[in-house]
Amino acid sequence: MSTTVSEGIRIRGVSKRYARQRENGEDLLVLDDISLDIAAGEFISVLGASGCGKSTLLRLVAGLDTDYRGDIGVDGERVRDTSLERGIVFQDHRLFPWLTASQNILAALRNAPLSPRQKRAAVAEHVALVGLQGFEHAYPHQLSGGMAQRVAIARGLVNRPRVLLLDEPFGALDALTRARLQHELQRIWERERITMILVTHDVDEAIHLGDRVVTMAPRPGRIERITTVDLPRPRERGDPRFVQLREQILADFSERTHAGGAN
Amino acid sequence: MSKAIGEWSPAAGHAVARTAGETKAKVRARSTSNLQRHARALAWHLAPWLLPAALFALWSIGCERGWIAPQILPPPRMVFDTLCDLARSGDLAHHTFVSLQRVLLGFGAGTLAGLLIGAALGLSRTVESYVLPGFNALVQIPVLGWLPFLLLLVGVGEPLKYILIAHAALVPVTLSTMQGFRQTPAALDEVARVFGYGHWQRIAYVVLPAAVPTLATGVRLALTKAWLALVVVELVASSEGLGYLIVYGRQLFQLDLVMASVVIVGAIGFAINRLLDALEARLRRGQPSAFRE
Amino acid sequence: MPSLFSFQAPRRPFRTRLGNPPPCACEAPATPLREGTPGRRARPLLDRFDWRGLVLPLALFALWWLVSALRLVKSGLLVSPADVAHTAWQQIESGALLRALSASLAREASGFVIGTAGGLLLGSALGLSRIAARAIGPTFDTFKQISLFAWIPLISVWFGLGDMAKVVFLSLAALLPVAAHTCDGIHAVPRRYVEVAHALRYSRLQLIRHVILPAALPTIFTGLYLGLIYSWLATLGAEYLLVAGSGIGNTLIDGSEQFRMDLVLFGVIVVGLTGWTLNALARGIERRVMASRGEGRERAAARNGAARRYQAVHQREANT
Repeated sequence: MSTTVSEGIRIRGVSKRYARQRENGEDLLVLDDISLDIAAGEFISVLGASGCGKSTLLRLVAGLDTDYRGDIGVDGERVRDTSLERGIVFQDHRLFPWLTASQNILAALRNAPLSPRQKRAAVAEHVALVGLQGFEHAYPHQLSGGMAQRVAIARGLVNRPRVLLLDEPFGALDALTRARLQHELQRIWERERITMILVTHDVDEAIHLGDRVVTMAPRPGRIERITTVDLPRPRERGDPRFVQLREQILADFSERTHAGGAN
Repeated sequence: MSKAIGEWSPAAGHAVARTAGETKAKVRARSTSNLQRHARALAWHLAPWLLPAALFALWSIGCERGWIAPQILPPPRMVFDTLCDLARSGDLAHHTFVSLQRVLLGFGAGTLAGLLIGAALGLSRTVESYVLPGFNALVQIPVLGWLPFLLLLVGVGEPLKYILIAHAALVPVTLSTMQGFRQTPAALDEVARVFGYGHWQRIAYVVLPAAVPTLATGVRLALTKAWLALVVVELVASSEGLGYLIVYGRQLFQLDLVMASVVIVGAIGFAINRLLDALEARLRRGQPSAFRE
Repeated sequence: MPSLFSFQAPRRPFRTRLGNPPPCACEAPATPLREGTPGRRARPLLDRFDWRGLVLPLALFALWWLVSALRLVKSGLLVSPADVAHTAWQQIESGALLRALSASLAREASGFVIGTAGGLLLGSALGLSRIAARAIGPTFDTFKQISLFAWIPLISVWFGLGDMAKVVFLSLAALLPVAAHTCDGIHAVPRRYVEVAHALRYSRLQLIRHVILPAALPTIFTGLYLGLIYSWLATLGAEYLLVAGSGIGNTLIDGSEQFRMDLVLFGVIVVGLTGWTLNALARGIERRVMASRGEGRERAAARNGAARRYQAVHQREANT
């Protein structure tokens, strides 16, 4: 909620393991010495297949999980718990089914130091931001998947967090809606210019939206490569540079398949 | 909710304990010594016995000190002795057997009839149209409501018990059977059509298996209700059985007898539930309940 | 439970196959489809009423009338419908019915209110606190297994045979399902929502008030509904066994002791009607509350009415 210069996100040497499930099994190392620096206002795409720990990393940054080794700092402060400064959008929208769309967004403001009038204004503003005017009083089950996800994004943004974390937000949507929402998210980011970390398994999505694409490999989860996407926005998927980047990143995955055998 | 003692693990409650501001507990936990952790585990295991133990202690001390008159609440020792007496004299076995016999026969008859009627209602719309409305109207009257009517009709004898218990079992079984047969998922129906199943094949290979979970629920409910009906009938109009023992003890102000009988009734109820749990778990092994939704 | 005249309610969930239009004319069923076929103009209510449902009851009634009129059975118990009607009129006119029914319902109401309050408290404690669940839960579970009516003789010793004992018993009858369902409902709140609340920095109180309570409400309502039903059943049983005082159960038992079949039949009808009314009332309130929350699932369940309701009740009851 502050407008002073922020230092961004610092992830240093983060490791997480799950205790072994069986008697003679081994501990499961989910993240292995992850280090990453994210500048304020940057859009980072974290890309990887299932099981590479990208969602786990996001949850650690969000503060939903605090059992890890290493250092995660947002604007110089160590992450100890969740915070209204870090909004989060889940893959299953997780809207409360007993509240309408605007009530769901309002629910995020329950602990915000705003007057009721200010809260209502914020809700209206964010409903407009995600383009859902007219659907304020609809219940989640009355909304399509894409619309519900937009409400979830509005809910994640309404507290004006410094960071927005998105955990495969468009994974449950059809390709056409996904494309539209990616465009929407980009528009919102360009307007609000807050730091965004998007976790996805879709290469195109990662390149389309991110300033940098962090590719992660599984077992144990580690950063494989960080690719800077230097293309001006809006980006064309048909652009040869775009295609080149995609080939580069995909090559990583197929290399891994050939080199490492069964993944 | 048929969790046994010691299996309580509230997920949301656990989550509640871990919400905002309670990560301190985690930090604390990590720095605890082994001894403290073992002590905590022990406390956790013993917790369910705390309340019963306290109540039992209160009960014993209360009777010993004379705070409670033996007519109001006999001392535990007395109840235990009575139980042993009953067991030794064969009375316990006799009355328990009478009760169990009634409940099992009544339940069996009611369930069988219920399955047949429910199947007829479920498979044939004609039967449903003619029979269901009348049936629904009759169902509004609870088992207890029929008791005086049947008392007049068949008097105080074995038929009264059997009819009431059978009725108690019949209602839930009929309704669930009907529902189970009616609500075959349309998806599976279509597959049957693709396979070219005939009418009876469809019933045998699709409708019936798909109806089993619902049926099981109904049968389970029926047994619980049959047991409940048995206790009531034996309390009101019987000269044998566990319910009779309770009433007999009450009339003679022999509360130890009453409590001993209540304990047995409770134990049987408990055993029935456990048995049904196990049976259901067995039957459910191949049927994820999610497919019913 | 659907009444004699609410054929729509039980029909809808079973119409899935017939209601869908056939993919092509060759598959059209031989017999004409009933309501639910798209394209048919709406028929008047009287037309849609299924008269076949009345056939059996009317036939039985006629049989009864015939047998009693012709005195085919020699028994003091055989009363004619006219006798029952006469008794009914007598009871209503003399105010006896009103007295008995109001006494029973008043006791049931008190028992239900006390039992529900206690049940909500206990259920919430069991649901929200791990420690309470661990310490009290198993005892409560065991306690629940004991057939409710087995407690009456003990209660009669401790509280006498009058109203006090009855209300105690009724409270117990209502408390058990309410507590069980409240606890279940709270436990069943998906962790997803709890996480959202965590991410939104809700305090524990806010979490309970704004997330757990709304999410658990449907289940809690089922518990209340069952509490009402059970306390009504318990009312009857209590009046049979704790005979001091007046009530509709007393009327029934008196009738059977005096060998008055007409009084008994009258009582049975009254009990049935009251039960149905309570049922309908409870369902109506639940539907109203659910609708105001806009739960689509619940609305669908309410629409499919009785069948779904009974299924849900079955599932709950089978689990308690």
